[in-house]
Amino acid sequence: MRLMSSPWFAVRNLALAALAATAAAATRPHYGGTLHVQIRQSFETPDPPTAGYGMPDLARAFAITLWEAGRRAVYAADENAAGGRPFLDTVEIEMARPLRDQSVDLELAKTDVVELGPSELRRQPAGRKVWASAPVRLVALVFAPRVEDARIREALALAVDRAAIHNVLLQRQGEVSAALLPQWLSGYAFLFPAAADAARARTLVAGLPAAVRAISLGVEDAAARPIAERIALNARDAGLAVSVVPQAAGADARLVEVRISSLDPALALAGMAVSLGLPEPPRAASPEALYAAERALLEGFHVIPLFHLPDAYGVNPRVKGRPGITPLGEWRFENLWVEGGRP
Amino acid sequence: MTFRTRLLLVFTVAVVASVALVEWLVTDSTRQAFERMETQRVNGLVAQFRKEFAERGQRIVRAVDGIAASEAAINIAIAADDSPYYNEAASLAAAHGLGLLELVAGDGTIVSSAEWPARFGYREDWLREPADWESRGAFLRREELPDGVTLALVAVGTASAGGRQLYVAGGQQLDREFLSSLVLPEGMRVLLYRNLEPEFSPAELVGGRAEDVPRVQPLIEQVQQRKRAIARTLGSGAGAETFHALPLTGYQGDLLGVLLIASSRRELVELESVLRRTGMVVAVAGILLGMALSWWATARITRPVQRLAESAARVAAGDWGATVASSSAGEIGQLARAFNRMTHELVAQRERLVQAERVAAWRELARRLAHELKNPLFPLQITVENMQRARERYPEQFDEVFREGAATLLAELANLKQIVARFSDFARMPAPEMQPVNFNELAIDTLKLFEPQLAQARVRADAALDPRLRPVQADPEQMTRVLRNLILNAIDAMPEGGTLTVRTSALEGGVRLEVSDTGQGLTPEESRRLFTPYYTTKAHGTGLGLAIVQSVVSDHHGRISVESSPGKGATFRIELG
Repeated sequence: MRLMSSPWFAVRNLALAALAATAAAATRPHYGGTLHVQIRQSFETPDPPTAGYGMPDLARAFAITLWEAGRRAVYAADENAAGGRPFLDTVEIEMARPLRDQSVDLELAKTDVVELGPSELRRQPAGRKVWASAPVRLVALVFAPRVEDARIREALALAVDRAAIHNVLLQRQGEVSAALLPQWLSGYAFLFPAAADAARARTLVAGLPAAVRAISLGVEDAAARPIAERIALNARDAGLAVSVVPQAAGADARLVEVRISSLDPALALAGMAVSLGLPEPPRAASPEALYAAERALLEGFHVIPLFHLPDAYGVNPRVKGRPGITPLGEWRFENLWVEGGRP
Repeated sequence: MTFRTRLLLVFTVAVVASVALVEWLVTDSTRQAFERMETQRVNGLVAQFRKEFAERGQRIVRAVDGIAASEAAINIAIAADDSPYYNEAASLAAAHGLGLLELVAGDGTIVSSAEWPARFGYREDWLREPADWESRGAFLRREELPDGVTLALVAVGTASAGGRQLYVAGGQQLDREFLSSLVLPEGMRVLLYRNLEPEFSPAELVGGRAEDVPRVQPLIEQVQQRKRAIARTLGSGAGAETFHALPLTGYQGDLLGVLLIASSRRELVELESVLRRTGMVVAVAGILLGMALSWWATARITRPVQRLAESAARVAAGDWGATVASSSAGEIGQLARAFNRMTHELVAQRERLVQAERVAAWRELARRLAHELKNPLFPLQITVENMQRARERYPEQFDEVFREGAATLLAELANLKQIVARFSDFARMPAPEMQPVNFNELAIDTLKLFEPQLAQARVRADAALDPRLRPVQADPEQMTRVLRNLILNAIDAMPEGGTLTVRTSALEGGVRLEVSDTGQGLTPEESRRLFTPYYTTKAHGTGLGLAIVQSVVSDHHGRISVESSPGKGATFRIELG
């Protein structure tokens, strides 16, 4: 008792009260401040994008105040936003930043939110706050109509060693897939075989002339080029001569990335089919019908799904609040606040 | 060709041959000396290049060893999951100056490849073969790249930690860039043939020019067959190069490439060209000097011979008193003195011969005179003795005997006068008085004189005269006498009649006159002695007619000959001019 009533105890209580107050202040939302975001993509349009994911998602609670095409965009908090005014005053987005530079800037606390590629994700220090979506980006090979021989398309589908690419180049990020919809969304993706079979691929193209076996693979995204190079190497083992070219237009096949736009599998499949230039599937009322529709889309190997990848962002510890992205990778910055912002 | 010319020619040929031989010997020995020096230089350069090549290999070994010993390699070796390191090789290769680098796990799986990043997970089982990579150093190896197969100089290092191993295989491509980075001496260049195809492929010749391909292809193929170094000089002139073709083998002894070290021979060829030009100048100067000396020497040698020849010509021309001045003590001097002795002897002999001939001539003349005079004298003596006997014994018949004897005496005296006149004519042969003579006219006129006599002797005269004949310098009187004698001779040779032909024909600046008969002809002995004075085949001839003919022809510097055979007549031929 003496101890509890001693001055030391009073001091201790005061200190604990101060700490509790400080912790409460730190976790309590603040108004104000600027959230600095860096992205790899560069929008060269005269006006800010209004469709798609990422920046267009900001339009829910922010309004564009500065647009420097391809360089910088500044969004200011919308006082009349439907969900209420965001905590942040502004969101400043720097475009066309290489992934490696983004990670360095995050490390040096020069920015708040950066995109993380597979390599950067692996290098993040322990304890780093990371936002990751579900695997919502499909990486796939899409053949041009002029590649008429289905054996070539199937041979390439069989030649690709998805596991090696997933393990090494993607650092096990996302998941290997031979389906358009990811397993987490459809539940049947595992039914589409994704294992490589180089022997069968060789058998398919064995009798074909060399000119037919030569395929150009267009890759416009430099970050995806290592995947394309590995596909070319796998294809070589199968007897195909795949050359990687930087222009997708005019190539025999393209390495593309499309996003799932809906949590509804049927809608997501339909959206994906449109994005990939496939015929729109019939509206499926059951998982079986959806599976049949997806199988029909993949019949003929015009599109070869390879991986489903998530969106991943590294986040500065000063950024507070719930994750700023949804499972589909949409930006939700209106509920974030940053330390040092206006209380 | 004169003796001097021949001697000069011989000297000149000797000088030219000697100079050419010396020039060739000097040039050849000099060229060989330069060739040896060039060979030594090239060998030195090749050794220097080999050293440079070996140094490059050492550099690669050091770089690979450095990587193998680095913390990064250790980390990869011990990592449970090596997938995060799939891109490490590129940065390590760049940091250590290597063009090729593969990090291979202990099980032979590629962790990271700088030259072909997509090859992670593939296998390099050759690294797991039992080999002491550390002591092997750098070696050649076929390397597969995304754009094809290449040849590389590689070294292998190993990083071991925690019972795990990482192979570090790094090196440099043997390509144009590698070759151009080598420090080469002046005038040297390096070509590399990558023996990556079963047949010779021009595309595999690195560092060369298009025109090199056909030149070096046989050399490369020889090295491929023999698998040993070969040196050849290819090309010609200043563009020639000495190629040292070195086989490049891999660590298993297989021929992976042929390194061609080419050394330009331009400097040597230019040096040889200068030498040749200098040699030519010296040779030409030597030849000219030799020819001048030859000219001087031949003049000095042939002058006494020439004098000797001139003297001999004078002697031949009749100047038997010609002598040669001799001051030399050598063979030429001896020859000159012998010549002088010979001419003195000839003069003396000629004088003795003339004397003897004179004596012989006088004896012959006396004999002929005695012979000719003896014949008429005998009838004279008989006639006078008859007349004396008739006067003494038969006075009544003396007148008759006297008349007949007187006639005989007169006839024999006339005969004696004729004999004396002929001898007188022969003795009084004057020098010819030359004037242009038309021998056609001369022949016609002379034949006209003999028309009655020819008719009486039943001899037909033919004149075959050359209308082209031009007047020739001659004494017309003497030539008329010659023709007359020959016609008389022909008439005498045809006692049964026949055909006399006088023929003229033009010679170069002269005339040929022929008198032919169809008489009995002459024996070879008679033909030989025909022009000897006092030789005759006739019963009443003096033997002076043809001698006079020969004398006249000789005085005209002409020639007379006879062509005859027994039973086929004779032809006397005179050529003047």
